[in-house]
Amino acid sequence: MIQHDIIIIGGGLSGLRAALEAQRSGKSVAIISKVYPIRSHSGAAQGGINAAIGSDDSWEKHAFDTIKGSDYLADQDAVQVLCKDAPDTINELDTLGCNFSRDSNGNLAQRPFGGAAYPRTCYAGDRTGHNILHTLYEQVMRYGIKIYSEWLVTKLVIEDGQCVGCIAMNLLDSELEIFQSKVTIMATGGYGRIYARSTNALINTGFGISLAYHAGAELKDMEFVQFHPTTLWDTNILITEGARGEGGYLLNSENKRFMEKYAKDSMELAPRDIVARAIQQEINEGHGFEGDYVYLDLTHLGKDVINKKLPGIREISRNFADIDPIENPIPVQPGQHYSMGGICCDVNGKTKVPGLYAVGECACISVHGANRLGGNSLLETVVFGKRAGIDAAKFVDENTFSPTEQKLVEVLNDVKNDIQDIMDMDIDSSGSGSGSSSSNNESFAHLKDEVRSLMQEHVGIFRNEKGLKVALSKILELKEKSIRLNVVNMSKQYNLELVNTIELKGMIDLAHVITLSALSRTESRGSHYRTDHNKRDDNEWLKHTLVTKDEHGAPTIDYKNAVILDVMPETREY
Amino acid sequence: MTKLVIQRNDNTSSWYDTFHIKEKKGMTVLDALFHIQEKVDGSLCFRYSCRGAVCGSCAMLINRVPRLACKTQISTIKKEIINESNSNDVLLKNKEMDEFKEEILIEPLPLPNSNIIKDLVVDLEPFFDLVYSIKPWIDEGRHDNTDPNTLIEPAMHEKIDQFTNCILCSLCHSICPAFKHDEQYMGPATLAKAWRYYLDPRNDQESKNGLLNTINTENGVWGCDVVYKCVGICPKKVPPTKGILNLRDVIKK
Repeated sequence: MIQHDIIIIGGGLSGLRAALEAQRSGKSVAIISKVYPIRSHSGAAQGGINAAIGSDDSWEKHAFDTIKGSDYLADQDAVQVLCKDAPDTINELDTLGCNFSRDSNGNLAQRPFGGAAYPRTCYAGDRTGHNILHTLYEQVMRYGIKIYSEWLVTKLVIEDGQCVGCIAMNLLDSELEIFQSKVTIMATGGYGRIYARSTNALINTGFGISLAYHAGAELKDMEFVQFHPTTLWDTNILITEGARGEGGYLLNSENKRFMEKYAKDSMELAPRDIVARAIQQEINEGHGFEGDYVYLDLTHLGKDVINKKLPGIREISRNFADIDPIENPIPVQPGQHYSMGGICCDVNGKTKVPGLYAVGECACISVHGANRLGGNSLLETVVFGKRAGIDAAKFVDENTFSPTEQKLVEVLNDVKNDIQDIMDMDIDSSGSGSGSSSSNNESFAHLKDEVRSLMQEHVGIFRNEKGLKVALSKILELKEKSIRLNVVNMSKQYNLELVNTIELKGMIDLAHVITLSALSRTESRGSHYRTDHNKRDDNEWLKHTLVTKDEHGAPTIDYKNAVILDVMPETREY
Repeated sequence: MTKLVIQRNDNTSSWYDTFHIKEKKGMTVLDALFHIQEKVDGSLCFRYSCRGAVCGSCAMLINRVPRLACKTQISTIKKEIINESNSNDVLLKNKEMDEFKEEILIEPLPLPNSNIIKDLVVDLEPFFDLVYSIKPWIDEGRHDNTDPNTLIEPAMHEKIDQFTNCILCSLCHSICPAFKHDEQYMGPATLAKAWRYYLDPRNDQESKNGLLNTINTENGVWGCDVVYKCVGICPKKVPPTKGILNLRDVIKK
């Protein structure tokens, strides 16, 4: 048994920031991550991080833009925390050596981003996430924080309603270990890979969110899934909003800047939900190119701007589409990008399960509401990562609960049995031994492809009751099938088939919650667009969806009003 | 059909397996490996994460050249093999290549002082330990000299930027010839990071001096053969040799 005061699951920006703060408080801290922390998806974030540091800007303006962008579903008290803390957060990262881009005077440079009335996005070229990730990881190394790299947490341990640790598997040898902690902080990122087209890293299965769900936490606003307007055709690698921030145009097959039809003032820099829907509509109406894409044209920006401000985009376009954006437009299509919803928690990361915290994309603090503005997710990770670290340390001091070893061992044995079930071949169908699974068993690859295409088709940018019901019934079938999931590979070392199979069950659970939440919300708001209920309905739906697992293991839905302070909902025009 | 010959490794042995896959347009080596793992042989092991050449996970030897599998297209490799005789790329000149013509050979990245864990998965701990052994970070708050909003000229930002682009994929570490005569050599990635933090105006002088002391050794900057292999192989265009030569200049002064 391994013991730490605070265990953080996930080594991306949120996890690293929380770890630093917890460590500074003198607690025993460890990070468990299924990849080396610097391989986390945070490193793929390109465009930037918002902070009102400009002389004409203010945190109030930042908050207003964020709330309007959220289609008024953000909790305004949480948004205030985010926007007030932003300038200090940027200064802190800068002091730690993060290599932010500069203006000609040597001050932090800022660029325009979608849905923002002021150019308030700080950036490090178009590799902002990479720069912050390495800066924070270097600090984590400086403090000597213990890291369990390439361990998969398979279950959270709950005793008398409180989180007392977790069970994790060392990928190196597939051995299970008990981790006892006073606080567990989930920092496991999003679930993009339950969609067929996603910008997310391949590791983003959302498994951490499903762990919290099974541990009794509420999942909030899961129907709000952000589709990024511009992902590279086919591979769906992100092409940053910064490309439009620097002046890029979107063109349809008639060579028209079609955004004038959808957002005549903001054009390409309207918020993501609006631009993504516009692109999809152009494609659906036959104004896209063969293969379902439109053009993102940067050619008029010139070589210098592209090389200086968007070098990563040039590299990606050349490497993955064989196109040089200096000479030719980039083929783009919308793709799943971010989960606004997640594990419900307060502004300190606390969930309703004592001892369990959540932060970053896996969490839902409700700063993004129904649609996140670009540049606010990196900000969220560091602002709330820090707060969660501070509060977790406090919880360690105040918490008097003393867990028994018995419960931890019991859960360890449960996990062992679950894994044994996956590893054992079905008795009726034994005999093949190797090769593909036999008829009574299911392989993860097959079910994974099914859930992905299902979510893409029916729970995507445009939704309606009929499609959502189809998705729901198919997901229930997949759940049945997933009981028979089975691996062929019996190796103890780096058994990726086993890891993928374990995670797939969590992916199906999330697909279920997302679809159910989307079916229940009979309005259109932000990223959630129902073709059969295409208006926002503030009378009925200015509230958050909360899903918990009931005693039979089925999801049940409840609602909670959004926190409205001084920004009153109005028609959202750009 | 494309033929992939993949080196397999476990605790006790090492062997080669051959797989035939149907090549799709734009297919990368990583795509091919996933195809094999999901449809043919679930026991095949390799690291991956971003699939967009920003995380550095999928470093491996592809036709004896260290590269990122996600960034390497099957069609490119095939052309490379056909054009081998007139290729300028010295890395491809290897007699053993002949037996694998028409095939794509995939092997784990050879790293100094490191073991293969399974198939294409190599122990990276020794590499990471080296990188962080030089203390590449800012000791914020130690001398209270770190002014928030340190002014940094755009030219200085760009100088640092060249080196912060490193994703620690370890390709340079695997190709560096200096390890042949000194197993304790710090390696290009580590020294590039040293230069990055030496340059940084936010770093205090005492820390910079400490950094210089650490790398001013035979297995530090003076161990480099200055053959620019690391510069040539870097998928993010980081120039470690340049950083190493700059550090030597600073020390000589």
